[in-house]
Amino acid sequence: MAKKNNLGAYNIEDLRLMAKKKLPRGIFGFIDGGAEDHIGVQNNRDAYTQLKIKNRVLIDVSKRSTKTTVFGKEIAMPYGISPTGSAGIAWYGGEIGLAQAAKKMNVPCTVALNALTSMEDIWEQGGGNLWFQLYMWADKEMSKKFMDKVKAVGFETLIVTVDGPVHSNREYNKKNGFSMPLKYSPTMIAQLLAKPGWLIRVLGQHYLRQGTPKKENYPPELARKITDKETADKHVKSDTQNWDDIQFIRDMWPGNMMIKGLQSAEDAVLAKERGLDGVVMSNHGGRYVDCAPAPLQVLAETRAAVGDDFSVIIDSGARRGSDLVKAIACGADMVMSGRPTLFGTAAAGMPGAYRALEIFHTEMDRVMAQLGLNSIDEIGPEIFWNPPEWVPKPKPALKAAAE
Amino acid sequence: MAKNNYGAYNIEDLRQLAKKRVPKGVFDYVNGGAEDGIAVQNNRDAYTQLKIKNRVLIDVSKRSTETTIFGKKIAMPYGISPTGTAGLMWFGGEAGLAIAAEKMGVPCTVALNAQTSMEEIREAAPNADLWFQVYTWPDKDLSLKQIERIKSVGFETLIVTVDGPVGSNREYNHKNGFSMPLKYSPRLFAQLLARPGWLVRVLGQHYLKRGAPTMVNYPEELMSKITDPMLKHMFTKVDNVTWEHIHRIRDVFPGNLLIKGLQSKEDAVLAKENGLQGVIMSNHGGRYVDCAPAPLQVVGETREAVGDDFTVIIDSGARRGSDLVKAIACGANMVMSGRPTLFGAAVAGTHGSYRALEIFKVEMDRVMAQLGLNSVDEIGPEIFWNPPEWVRKPKTQLKAAAE
Repeated sequence: MAKKNNLGAYNIEDLRLMAKKKLPRGIFGFIDGGAEDHIGVQNNRDAYTQLKIKNRVLIDVSKRSTKTTVFGKEIAMPYGISPTGSAGIAWYGGEIGLAQAAKKMNVPCTVALNALTSMEDIWEQGGGNLWFQLYMWADKEMSKKFMDKVKAVGFETLIVTVDGPVHSNREYNKKNGFSMPLKYSPTMIAQLLAKPGWLIRVLGQHYLRQGTPKKENYPPELARKITDKETADKHVKSDTQNWDDIQFIRDMWPGNMMIKGLQSAEDAVLAKERGLDGVVMSNHGGRYVDCAPAPLQVLAETRAAVGDDFSVIIDSGARRGSDLVKAIACGADMVMSGRPTLFGTAAAGMPGAYRALEIFHTEMDRVMAQLGLNSIDEIGPEIFWNPPEWVPKPKPALKAAAE
Repeated sequence: MAKNNYGAYNIEDLRQLAKKRVPKGVFDYVNGGAEDGIAVQNNRDAYTQLKIKNRVLIDVSKRSTETTIFGKKIAMPYGISPTGTAGLMWFGGEAGLAIAAEKMGVPCTVALNAQTSMEEIREAAPNADLWFQVYTWPDKDLSLKQIERIKSVGFETLIVTVDGPVGSNREYNHKNGFSMPLKYSPRLFAQLLARPGWLVRVLGQHYLKRGAPTMVNYPEELMSKITDPMLKHMFTKVDNVTWEHIHRIRDVFPGNLLIKGLQSKEDAVLAKENGLQGVIMSNHGGRYVDCAPAPLQVVGETREAVGDDFTVIIDSGARRGSDLVKAIACGANMVMSGRPTLFGAAVAGTHGSYRALEIFKVEMDRVMAQLGLNSVDEIGPEIFWNPPEWVRKPKTQLKAAAE
């Protein structure tokens, strides 16, 4: 890799530390933190790092490939960018940078409903294999109009996030004075002034070119400046949301549709029965239920419950290329995460986001070679040494046990 | 909402604030455990190791944390454990606990060791669901006299603490020079002077208004000032108290009678056989047997042994609203703890104690919504992912196994 492009970051943690230096404390905390005691955040990592993988030697791996296919499209590796609302406060127009980086790498990127850049701008200037994410609104007419717009822009894959019937408990935001609606409190202003580079490069540019940052994708009838006192939150379908609301969207949306934020195999089965095309198992990066299991831990039981012909993606916690291999071995079709490319974005905009993807890709390619694997299809639970009981059994072992 | 959150967003915040306000010896006395602190840690670990799974797309808009205990509806399955030190956290802190519990609608236990009389506490919170806690003595007349006083004040529920046949081993008290009877040693004096606010607000007020703190809830024969070198209740031999002494109380107390401080299901069965109304499984907040199991760990086997029609409460270790949900799922009727509201009392008296209760309530409500639960009756072991063997099995699973 040419030196000028690696930004001095050799892994995702390096990008994280760079982001920490560049972002105001409250904003970095908002991106980096989890719910309550951060048990979930830590467990998401531990689930990956506790799995031991064994190499296989003397296999010709010169023709290996990390490529796979998701929803009929070939992608460079089984990885996609999760929806996040804060790319635009990590970098001015950061959402476009994410889309461009994903296009360059050829992996899917999800545009978040809460983005500060409009979906049209991201579609036109970013392009690539773009998915769209939404929260549900109470007003059905408004939802219908909105879905028509998402379709008209050209999105084919839709993710509905369903894990937030109530707000999450992230106490550090309150302590940092970071809240939505954004309030320019004295503590917040002090934090912003401590990062003058960010203030000019991100917030200053935004105010100069577009005024106060807005949730540009919200329907015009909803208040949407991030500093507005009355936010669109109250219009969001919240603690009454149920499967009928999902059915309503399913009936309107002809493309691929998934729900995101599941931890139970039972819910994945219900999603399949409702005619969805897949699920994103997720604990929202440890940001909702602090004692939730890691998606990696519930993956095998979910795969066993829904069968092989249903897309199961897992989110939350992947930070190394080896994690992608482990997730595939446990039964996932693809892995997503939000923070790695956000850290990259905060570090250097589009090249930073691309660097995050490049790290995943390079690391995955390397570990496949080390494990003697030539293609995604060859990745299975045989790679593990002494796995915990939530890892699926290798097929030969199942066969042997049956005999 | 409390009129002020005191910058405390969780129980740990209250603990940290309390530490700053209370003299070291007094704080450690409240905060610490026996010997190596193993049980204190294990009480927390028992809760935090349990993984809970969300269920999505369930209408939870009509959810409630309410439950019923001894025929009374309470706001959540939580009550305040008896503690002797509320009066050292805040002047008249015991009345503050009762008022906070009254406002929240949860039971509060008045401790025998309180420095405010049971009559005064009753008067301060006339509508509170107040319980009373006693130790019992071999001397029959003393015990009966005590019960008469408790009855005459109007307490309907009585807890007899039975886990202290001998004094416990809390070494830091010796090291801090904090002992009962209280001796104003130079070391303790220095600690008191380091907290002048506390000295004026708490101890000063006490001496001014009431004289030296006194064990005002003991029978006259045992009542003495905490500075009395012959602190009478402490030198009364209790290591020969048996079930027979419990019978004496049962025979004269017409209300609900519970014993507190059990770790064995066998003892819970004996309590039921001896005609009590319930038990409080407890290791005294890790303050007696350092290697005791957490009450959460033994509640499943206890429930199985005593059946569904006997009240089993667990004490020790709950610090999050999700802990209440976990305890109910493991078979408890209610959870109690002592330290959270004591920390609150140290921070801001009644309001601080109320803040602690509010944190539990808000957190429990949130996690119920996230887990798709509408009532306390819906909480069962199905919420757990991959629980340890001491968590009881879901009923559906038991049924399936039987077939």
